[in-house]
Amino acid sequence: MTGSARAMPAAAGTAADQRRPRRVPLLLATVAAVVALAAWLLSVGLQRDPTAIRSPLLGRPAPDFALRTLDGDRVVRLGDLQGQVVVVNFWASWCAECRVEHPALNAAWSRFRDAGVVFVGVDFQDDRRGALAYLAETGTSWPVVADPGSRTALAYGVYGIPETFFIGPDGRVTAKQVGPVTYDQLVREITRLLPGRSG
Amino acid sequence: MTLRPARAWVRRPAAGLAVLLLVALGAVAAVAARGPAPAATPTDRVQAIASGLRCPTCRDLSVADSPAPLARQMRNQIAEGLQAGKSPEAIRREFVAAYGESVLLVPPRRGVGLVAWVAPALLLAGGLLAAVLVVRRWRARGAAAAGGPSATPRTSRADRALLQRALARFEEDGP
Repeated sequence: MTGSARAMPAAAGTAADQRRPRRVPLLLATVAAVVALAAWLLSVGLQRDPTAIRSPLLGRPAPDFALRTLDGDRVVRLGDLQGQVVVVNFWASWCAECRVEHPALNAAWSRFRDAGVVFVGVDFQDDRRGALAYLAETGTSWPVVADPGSRTALAYGVYGIPETFFIGPDGRVTAKQVGPVTYDQLVREITRLLPGRSG
Repeated sequence: MTLRPARAWVRRPAAGLAVLLLVALGAVAAVAARGPAPAATPTDRVQAIASGLRCPTCRDLSVADSPAPLARQMRNQIAEGLQAGKSPEAIRREFVAAYGESVLLVPPRRGVGLVAWVAPALLLAGGLLAAVLVVRRWRARGAAAAGGPSATPRTSRADRALLQRALARFEEDGP
């Protein structure tokens, strides 16, 4: 009687021992899979530039604007520029990286200004005097407009300047650059939109 | 009479805890489903929309909380939109059109955003299920190891026959 009673828990123990070899690798594999997934997500997510989010404007009609130039001379209306390639550049006089990209913009502007390409600078959260001094200092000759209340910047989904939008003759946004734009990039995006002319 | 339910709780603390947990979860779900109280003043309505939008120039700060100039201008734009009679949803849609869905601090209840809504509930349910299974196995193992009266299923056929015979004899002798 006592012998059989003692044998019973032992039998239960061996049953558990038989189960364990199958379960432990399964458990380890699950934990390893979860850790690997987390590590992969982190490695992808941490290396990605959080500001480089694909703009929902790409392929869409560019938000229209009618903004007065900084010198107050005239109003630039995007709708009036339909049929031309438009490069909209958000910048400010306080923005260091805007100075970096300025020579590239200047070079592209002098190359394409007579080829049906319009550059529009949009001054972003700047003071007017500082902006005008910057324009005089750099010899900027494309129209630069003020953006009261950052309405246009908000409509374009600007995160941080410099940001540059390329708009085709049909008025649609074809590309967006966050951060300083290069001359090669300007040439590439503009010529892509001018097939008949620069080909 | 009045002591009976109390005794039931004492006898089955796990069931009592489970009921308490369900009541708490139900309350949380009710509050979450009702959402925040409707905003009364125009400023409250602006704050309500702004607190659901991410400030684009900041890291993980809502438009309502951010002191950044762009966030202030977004709040102005929200106020103007509300004044013009736009619905909060229409105003949010405008910002999404410019910035994408990442501008929303609360993910939408569709597409990839649905994962954020469903995953916590699934994980909680899975965890509870795992906890229940583990506790049940521990109790079964403990009962088997104790080998006491709770281990009745493990009594052998011989033991049960012996018990039956003893009981029969007891009844014969009893009265």
